Parts: sequence; C-alpha cells; structure tokens
Amino acid sequence: MASRGSARPNGLGQTKICQFKLVLLGDMAVGKSSLVLRFVKGQFDEFQETTIGAAFLAQSVCLDDTTVKFEIWDTAGQERYHSLAPMYYRGAQAAIVVFDITKPETFERAKAWVKELQRQASPNIVIALAGNKSDLAERRMVEYEEAQTYAEDTGLLFMETSAKTAMNVNELFLAIAKKMPKTDTQNPTHAARHRGVNLHDAEAQSSRGCCGN
Amino acid sequence: MSQKSERRGIRVDQSELLCTKGCGYYGNPAWQGFCSKCWREEYHHVRQKQIKEDWALAERLQREEEAAYASSQGAQSQPSLTPFSKFEEKKSNEKTRKVTTVKKFFSPSSRIGSKKAAPETAGKCVPSGRERHADTLLRDLREIFTPPWDLASPTEESHETKAPSPSISRQASIETDQVSRDFIDFLKSLHKPGREIHKQCRAFIETMATKEDHQSVEELSECVQDFYQNMSDRLLTHFKGSSERVERVMDQVEKYIMTRLYKNVFCPEITDDEKKDLAVQKRIRALHWVTIQMLCVPVDEEIPEVSDMVVKAITDIIEMDSKRVPRDKLACITKCSKDIFNAIKITRNEPASADDFLPTLIYIVLKANPPRLQSNIQYITRFCNPSRLMTGEDGYYFTNLCCAVAFIEKLDAQSLNLSPEDFERYMTGQASPRRQDPEGLSQVYQSLELLSGLGERQERVLDGARRLESDLIDWQDGVAREVQDILDKYPLEIRPPASAIDSDNVENDRLPPPLLPQVFAG
Repeated sequence: MASRGSARPNGLGQTKICQFKLVLLGDMAVGKSSLVLRFVKGQFDEFQETTIGAAFLAQSVCLDDTTVKFEIWDTAGQERYHSLAPMYYRGAQAAIVVFDITKPETFERAKAWVKELQRQASPNIVIALAGNKSDLAERRMVEYEEAQTYAEDTGLLFMETSAKTAMNVNELFLAIAKKMPKTDTQNPTHAARHRGVNLHDAEAQSSRGCCGN
Repeated sequence: MSQKSERRGIRVDQSELLCTKGCGYYGNPAWQGFCSKCWREEYHHVRQKQIKEDWALAERLQREEEAAYASSQGAQSQPSLTPFSKFEEKKSNEKTRKVTTVKKFFSPSSRIGSKKAAPETAGKCVPSGRERHADTLLRDLREIFTPPWDLASPTEESHETKAPSPSISRQASIETDQVSRDFIDFLKSLHKPGREIHKQCRAFIETMATKEDHQSVEELSECVQDFYQNMSDRLLTHFKGSSERVERVMDQVEKYIMTRLYKNVFCPEITDDEKKDLAVQKRIRALHWVTIQMLCVPVDEEIPEVSDMVVKAITDIIEMDSKRVPRDKLACITKCSKDIFNAIKITRNEPASADDFLPTLIYIVLKANPPRLQSNIQYITRFCNPSRLMTGEDGYYFTNLCCAVAFIEKLDAQSLNLSPEDFERYMTGQASPRRQDPEGLSQVYQSLELLSGLGERQERVLDGARRLESDLIDWQDGVAREVQDILDKYPLEIRPPASAIDSDNVENDRLPPPLLPQVFAG
C-alpha cells in the first residue's frame, strides 16, 4: 500500500474534484477485475469477504491539488459480447486495456481493442495498456520490449502489472490520473448531455440484425 | 425441468386470488384484493371517511401554500391556471379514453372530466395561481363526493363513461398528490430557492401540457432534458458548486415532474414502443430453451440460497415496470443487479466480474421476460436525469441491461456456441436441448430410442415371416410340379404278376439240367 504515489489524505483545503469514467477492456480471464479490486480494495485474496461485485467500482487518487475520482466500468471479455462494447466505452474519458503476458493471443486482442478505441471512442480518451500477471514471468510469452514498442508507437501508457503482488497497480492508475485533463468542463453531467445510451444506435451498428421473433 | 421452473416461478395460491371479503368472486390487487362489487362497497365507506380527512388536509395545505408564497409572489401566475387544470383533466381523460373507446361512439361525453370541472373552478371565482395545487385536490374530492350523474348535463349518460375505472384513476391521482405534497415539504426545507424551484416546475409542466399533443416524444424528451440542464446549472450557481446538494434537489424535481408527465410520455401512442415491446417479448419467449450452460452463467441453482437470489432478481426486474419515476426504475435495475452479484458470490465464493455478471443478467432477463421492456428502457433514456444515466452505479447497471437486451435481440447460433442447424431446430421447437435433468428426460429419450428400435426389428421379423410364407408356398408348388413331371415322364405301368419262376422263361430248354444231388461214400 506504500505506493499510492503522491497520495494525500482527502478533504484538506480546497481540493478540486474531477470525476472520470474509466472503462476496462480485455479478453476473458486476463485479470481485469483483480486489477481493479487490487486498486480499490488493496488486497488480492482478502477482498472476497466484503465485496460482492467487481463489475462497477469507484476509487479516488489524490494528486497535488486535485482529487481524481475514477468510476471503473468493467466489461465482459467474452468474444460473443464484443459488439456490445461501444455501449460501455461511450462517454468514457479513460480506458485500460488489459492482456495476460503468458498468453500471446490476449495481446493480439488488446491491440484490436486499442485500435477500436482510437477509432470509435471519445477522441481525447486516455488509453493505458496493462500487461498483467507479471508475477508469472517464467511463463512469459509476450516480451516487455514488444509491448513497450507497440505502446510507444500508438501513444499509450504502458505498464506491466501484477494484481497478485500489487506491482505497478497503483502506479498505473496514478499515471492515468496525471494524464487526465483537469478542467471543470470534464464534469460528467455536462459530458453526458446528448450522449444518452441509445439502444437503436447499437442496433443500427450491427449488421446482423435480429429476425424479430 | 418442470420442478425447476416451478421453484423459480412466482407462486400464487388459489385462495389469494379470491375476493378477500369471501364472496367467492375473484379479487384484484388493484382493488386491494376485493372483487369489483365488494371493492365499490368497501371503497365507498373508506372514501367517505378519507374524504373528510382529505378535506381537512387539503384546506390545511392550501393555507400553508398560501402562507408560503404569499410573501414572494403577486398575481403574476394567475393566467396559467387554465392550462394546468386542463393538463390534469387531460390525464384522466387519457385513462378513460383507453378503456372506453367504443363507448365514445354512443356518448359525446368522453371529455366529461373537463366539462364537469370547469363550472366548479369557475364557481371558485378564479383562485390565484398559488392555490392551484390545493385547489386541484379540492376539486378531485368534490368529484368523488358528487354522484356521477350529477356531474353531467342531464341529457348525457355520463355515468357510463365515468364508471370503468374510478378506483384506478383515483389511486393514480392520490399518488400524484402524495408526490406533490412531498415535493412541497421538501422545498420548504430549502426556503427561498424552494419557491423559485416550485414556480419553475409548475411553469414547465404547464408548457409541457400544451406541447405534448403535437410534438414527437424525442422533442418532449429534449424539452425535459433542457429543463434538467437549466435547472441544475442554476442550482449549481446557487449552491456554489456543491454538486451533492444539486443532485438531491434534482432527484426531487425529477420525481415531481415525471410523476405528472408519466401517463402521457410513457409508451406514447405516437411511437412504436409498444410494437417493440411485443417484439422483444415474443423473441424472449421463442428463446425459452436457452440454458445456463449455453450462456456460461456461473450460477448454480441447485443451491437454495442461489435459487432464492435468482427469484429475487427476477422479481426486481419485473417490478421496474410498476414505477413511474425514471430513477425508481433505475433503482429496480440496481437491486436486481445486486441480487445477481449475490447469487454469483454464493456459487463461486468470489466477487463477480463483468465476465460473470453480463451473462447472468442476460439469463435473468430471459427468465423474467419483463413487461414493456423496451418502453421502460426508452422512457428511462428519454426522461432520466442524464447524469444518472452515464455515470454512477445506476448508470452502469442500466447500460448492462441495454446490452443484455441488445444481445438477446441479435442472439444467434454462434453466440451460444451452437451449430446453426441446432439453433434453427430449437427456435422452431423441433427439438429441445434440455438435458440437465439427469434421469427423467434422458430416460424418456432412451426409451423412445429403444421403442423405435423395437419397432424396426418387429418390422423386420414380420417381413421375414412373410417371405418365409411365400417361400414355403413356392416350395410346395415346386415339389408338386416336380412330382408331376416325374409322374408324367415315367407313367406307372402295372405288369401282370409272374405265374411261376420259370414259366415265362423262353429259353428254359437251353438251360442245363438241374444239378442232381450226388452222394459221396464216406
């Protein structure tokens, strides 16, 4: 828990509060929710007692003069739900794309996610790439340099994390918090206007419409 | 399979359906469990009592409101009286119109609601705007007091039109009044801005009343959203940026406004929401065969606690339809989601991620087949405060519900890991994939297979027997024919019997003489 960066007790003086919606993407079982639970609850195993769900969680990071509050939306990683993802990342100001360093196919999937986000999500979305399960380095299949080069080329934040040992978990969120634009116009209430969830958009996007019965 | 669905279903005892007064007819929850006749009797008593109380309350409210607004407002809101009461009346008209469309043909008095009220209000010698709310209440009460036939002009059969749903419309209006009262109480705690908010809300409802006949629902939604936006902007400046307090007020504003607008903007006739509702409902019904295994739902319904949670989740999502305020509807979705998390937590003993949650929600929606699903989603999308929809826990679960519905709508063989042929067969009802019932069904299937095998074999035996029969006949014929042939070929000759051994021997004389016995002396 030593690594909440320049975190400082909340509420002292006039700190500005910025709230951001952060969406988690990545293949199934790459450890998306473990990563968030580690960040939000601090523990890896013990969190099981108190938390009933890890799909929606909120946590704040304190920077020098601002409190950055992340509202973390987890998404289902199964391929069959891929087409629903735009409904989740619509209006998100940050995204973490997670892959498993022991499974190269999850890295390929992560690349696809990044591409989709850069094409379809909000234009100034902050994207971070997380190579999770770095504690399993002996079974590594995705080289650090490879992912690092890719992240540099595409302009992403990149860290290798371990939800199990907590390595780089808080650092990752802190780095994202620093990169977020901290203007008041980022108030989600304003951002949300005219961007309501619309089922019909999603329907129109999908080419394979349903037959209606 | 049948056992399972029974456990999951909502059980209603036969006796619970009957009129609580015990007259033997069926009761209706809308009438507090009475049958229509008993309800009318009972209702009459209760109403008489309640009317007296309400009179007192209404008068008190009127006095209070007057006192509250007397200081700040002059006569400026007077002219707005007519549209407001018109709005109220239009609402009740809407209700009766739906029930008694046919009756309209016979009686020109479908707008009786507004007609009868007009003289009443006029008789009150134009009350000032600030009295309006209490006045509406008073007028409502008077309606109840007056026998229906007195309300109409003598030539019209007004009681015909009025009769269909007195209790329902009354209850709705009581609810509306309750919400108004709560709203006023809440605003009083805010002192001065409260008055301003109340004024704005009323003005807005009035303008909406004039708009809703000739504007599309999207335009109405836009109006409501603009109103939310303006209101929260102004509140934000007033509260000096305390978004928490703004949110609290906005929740109340939304509740007040949407309770009043609900009837006219929920599933309005001008949209095809209803058609979509039916389409989704039909679709979900057609997908009744989808199993937990196909969706990879991490929930084990064999565990009683889990199955209870599943039932609770289903109940909560169905309950959504009964709420009028968008935020209350959202709360139902959130409650349902929490039940789902609990179910997964009990099954897996670890907190559920979205990987687990979404499939389970889809499963719950398929099981529940919630009424007017699309209408509810559309209504929430159009009229909920957008800050609730895009952020926060409620927003997240609502997004998930939208995703679940979208998934169900375009679900195909691939999304369930089935072959297209199997999917087609399940959809058309030619086959059922349910095999999770280990004994019953599989045994039936086995027996069926065995039976069809037996049938085939019997057929074969019969075939063989028939062939054998014909073979036998052929053989008999063949033998007979052969015998005949031989008989024909070698006809039977019967020769005369020989007289003596040598009698017919012509060459007897050429034979040597018979050997004579010789005696050898020994």
